[in-house]
Amino acid sequence: MMVNIKVNGREYKKDIEPRMLLVSFLRDELNLTGTHIGCDTSNCGACTVLMDGKSVKSCTVLAAQANNHEITTIESSDPKLDVIKQSFVEENGLQCGFCTPGMIMQTFYILENSEDADEEYIKKNLRGNLCRCTGYKSIIDSVKKAEERVKGEINVSK
Amino acid sequence: MYLNRFVNGEGKYVDDIKFDNMLYMSIVRSPYAHAKIKKVKGGLNSSELKAYYTGMDHAMREPVLAIDEVNYVGQCVAAVFSENRYESEDLLNSVEVDYEPLDAVSSIDDALKKPAIHDGMKDNILDTEDVGNKFNEKDIDYDIKVSDTLFMDRISANPIETRGIIADYKDNVLHIYASSQSIHRLKGGIMKTLNLKDGEIVVHHVDTGGAFGLKALIFPEYIIAAYASMKYKKPVKWIETRSEHLQAAHAGRGVKADITLYAKKDGKINGLDGTVYLDTGAYFTDDDLVDLGNAMHEVTGPYFIENAHLTGKYVLTNKALNGYYRGAGKPEASRIMERMIDLLADKLKMDIADIRIKNATEKPFKSPLGFDINYPTKPLLEAALKHFDYYNLSKKEKLGISLFILDEDTAPGESCRIIVKNGKVTVYFGGDVSGQGHELFVQEMLSEEFKIDKDLISLDYDDTNTLKDGTGTWGSRSAITHGSVLMKTAEIIKNDVIKKFGKYDKDLLLNNEFNEYYYYKIDYNANSVNFNMVSCNVNDMNSIKIYTYYDLGKVLNLKNVLGSIHGGGLQALGEALSETLRYDEDGQLITNNIADAGLLTADKIPQYNIKIVENNSEFPDKAKGIGESTMIGIPSALARSIELQTGKRVTKFPIDDLSLFNKCME
Ligand code: FES
Ligand code: FES
Repeated sequence: MMVNIKVNGREYKKDIEPRMLLVSFLRDELNLTGTHIGCDTSNCGACTVLMDGKSVKSCTVLAAQANNHEITTIESSDPKLDVIKQSFVEENGLQCGFCTPGMIMQTFYILENSEDADEEYIKKNLRGNLCRCTGYKSIIDSVKKAEERVKGEINVSK
Repeated sequence: MYLNRFVNGEGKYVDDIKFDNMLYMSIVRSPYAHAKIKKVKGGLNSSELKAYYTGMDHAMREPVLAIDEVNYVGQCVAAVFSENRYESEDLLNSVEVDYEPLDAVSSIDDALKKPAIHDGMKDNILDTEDVGNKFNEKDIDYDIKVSDTLFMDRISANPIETRGIIADYKDNVLHIYASSQSIHRLKGGIMKTLNLKDGEIVVHHVDTGGAFGLKALIFPEYIIAAYASMKYKKPVKWIETRSEHLQAAHAGRGVKADITLYAKKDGKINGLDGTVYLDTGAYFTDDDLVDLGNAMHEVTGPYFIENAHLTGKYVLTNKALNGYYRGAGKPEASRIMERMIDLLADKLKMDIADIRIKNATEKPFKSPLGFDINYPTKPLLEAALKHFDYYNLSKKEKLGISLFILDEDTAPGESCRIIVKNGKVTVYFGGDVSGQGHELFVQEMLSEEFKIDKDLISLDYDDTNTLKDGTGTWGSRSAITHGSVLMKTAEIIKNDVIKKFGKYDKDLLLNNEFNEYYYYKIDYNANSVNFNMVSCNVNDMNSIKIYTYYDLGKVLNLKNVLGSIHGGGLQALGEALSETLRYDEDGQLITNNIADAGLLTADKIPQYNIKIVENNSEFPDKAKGIGESTMIGIPSALARSIELQTGKRVTKFPIDDLSLFNKCME
């Protein structure tokens, strides 16, 4: 079947199998391998991307369901996403990096959708993303730092 | 810099690599824990590929593809291939296998009671081994003896990147790309199994998404992929699904111990005896020897006990094979001792710190079980208790403590290459980093040594040609081994500059080309003394407080250290509270996803009180190890804190009590 999916601002028209998962579409069809696969039971969050601004596990969405929708992945160069990435680098919010794209996309979603994400809120909203290396502490610090920066920028622009 | 690559989605993990005409491999796995195979039709099966993949030629090793019988759920029976990932999974249905199910053995206790699972064996004991000196209790001077049984159930390593490999046979050379802690070990394993000569295989390291001991091993799937690539003359990729990981990836822990301590009234222990059992799974692997070896030799840990003896039993079950998991026998050994010494303290109505002081030492010593302790253990214990004000704090908080030796697997050393070219410095280690962030300390050390900017320094992947030998990352070794060989190689480069120009300065280095290789040999395993303390309120998961008093020698990079403590800290809590693989009586795996496996999530993180002491080691970089310390020190201390509140002695891990911490494990 033909699908038309906008990924990171670019439209892709592709003929795909109806059963193809969005994560395979991104990785295999578009070669956007930043989105990872960590499980086959939708438990790990390594595959997290945004669909029309909402965070989804791309291993549970069919590419067909993303037809005519807009997807944002870790490869996006959205400036706010850059702020988050920079915070993860500075706070050492990763070790092996495998969970990282999912964590960063989930962070992007958290920061876009809450005015005041306190530590409890951040932790609760990261529950669907597993990390085996960091023990999450540096990830939470990264999110907090990104939040401060994003807020700071909003205040400056105001 | 890896951090920048990874946050931008530019990591190159094995599943991110694509070659033309690549085949995807899927594996037909046994649905039974124990069955005869009456027929296999289709796929690549053992009628064509009959091979064994262990390093040692043991009678009970696992065939790469099942021959006539299967012995655990998930065992490889056949392999299918397709250029399309989805189609290769479809092809699984094209293979016909007829099974005749047999009775299965699903635990150590079961195995000790039931008939042998393998033909030709009289029971399920694969091997028995004794360490220390057998003694008769009549011959030793004691006032009290305490006995107990401890059990640490199996744990799956569960790196977020599962196992994976690409085999690409071209121009008569087999190229392997793998997620690995040691490409040199992998190379050796594949050469042996497939009878390849040096020069016929090159193994390339790629970004590795976590490993935790598991990826130091060699697996049947890797051999099948390598064989298939040679057969089809095409690249073959195998990426494990998480479900396959839970079923078939070699699992850690799985240790049971029956222990007796003999002591004087004042708490001085003068005898330890007992049996330690390892659940080896269905077949022998080389890692069994390391795991049970550590779990026996290191039991007496930081305490000098004059009479000590243990019998070790390797026990076969119808489960996936045993493998390494962060600590590989060391946490088991320490937990046995620490849980027993707490029991003795309770019996003698002694404080748990006092009894440890009584048995800790003023001098380095060799234990009767054969463990050489390089440092006195009492000074660190006393310093730690003082630092945390233990005696006062224990009146307010429910404290568990743990004094332990970290055995650092420094032997046989490590290799390194440094290349200076185009104004940049590139480092290669023979021991492959598997996602711990070694580049941070490499940059920190070299920028100081060479007096250059950190940004000019990078740690790159090696392959088995760049470095002709190398060891690996495991056993809390790399701060010592990698740090030291890095310093040694850097010295050689600096000398090259001096030889050529009569002096060293950074421009002379960066404006010229240098290329040096060095292997820093270490012929023994070093060790260090460390301490953990844990407190908690059993009604609140977020109340858990981890106190850490680690002697790290010289800290090479603080971010690396904190990453290891925070990451390992949560892993240790998971191991203590919830992580395991559950099987029913028929050997069917009941844990069927990574959430069920008990990994803790972001809302469960503990509080930390971290004290690092820096008593330099004897190595060139003065560092000591860290990687496995949290796994050794934390679970037993947490167990103590919990039992002080519940009144129920903890002997089984995971503690797995749903009444704890507001049902955090649900
Ligand atoms: S890959 Fe694990 S949730 Fe999608
Ligand atoms: S950094 Fe390795 S899984 Fe999160």
